[in-house]
Amino acid sequence: MAKSLGIFVTTTDCLQHVIGITKAAKAKGSNVKVFFTWKATHLSKDPQFAGLCELADDVSICVDSYAKQGYDIEDVPEGLTAKKMATQAQHGIMIEDFDCYLSL
Amino acid sequence: MKILNIYRSEPDETVQKLVEIVTRDRESEDFDLAVDSPDYDGLVDKIFEADQTICWW
Amino acid sequence: MEYKKVCLMYRHEDYAVDGIRSALGLAVENMYSYGVVIDKELPLLDDLTKESIEMLRDMEGDVFTTVQADVEKNDFTPITIEELGEKLREMTHIIPYGAK
Repeated sequence: MAKSLGIFVTTTDCLQHVIGITKAAKAKGSNVKVFFTWKATHLSKDPQFAGLCELADDVSICVDSYAKQGYDIEDVPEGLTAKKMATQAQHGIMIEDFDCYLSL
Repeated sequence: MKILNIYRSEPDETVQKLVEIVTRDRESEDFDLAVDSPDYDGLVDKIFEADQTICWW
Repeated sequence: MEYKKVCLMYRHEDYAVDGIRSALGLAVENMYSYGVVIDKELPLLDDLTKESIEMLRDMEGDVFTTVQADVEKNDFTPITIEELGEKLREMTHIIPYGAK
């Protein structure tokens, strides 16, 4: 059984890495959870973001950060549902419950 | 304790110092993410093998 | 049960305040959580952030800085790079947060 992987995204220039690592981890049978916070919530507007949501097992963003970055919280990014507009508790879940952890 | 240090840019003096202390008397490995086409497959293997992964700036 | 010990490190002023909020979020989740501002002087913090730091300290966390001016101005706890390195050795999770 492959290890599970949580990816905590805090920077704005790393979407290619997030996608590349998620793809490689999924190919090994891993359960991958990704959480975007603060300025990294801008990445939810990237055309490749919806593809990442399909690829990973779970993708969510910090809704408070999203609002503070100037977005309307009713404007749910493509690939997400309102439930995935979440809180920092998602970060806690990946630290507590996932085998491996990566910040980007 | 096996530590994987991932670098997103050339490590400066501060990062070098922290890595030196954190990895003292411990097994460690490095991965350079600041290349054109990173080997994501190899990176994931290293992440799974490590006890702790640190992705430096 | 062994509690997680997490250290978030900030090197950019645009990320430090949110990073402190992230540290507080983990303390609320029952982890030992610390923030460290490295080599960057921050502006005077707003009341909400000061309150977050107080809450973090109430939960046995802390916010440190390597910049003396922020010890006086923002009431951060002083730390040297060497001390930080030793502290990181105790952590289960080490998070270089945001941009440099």
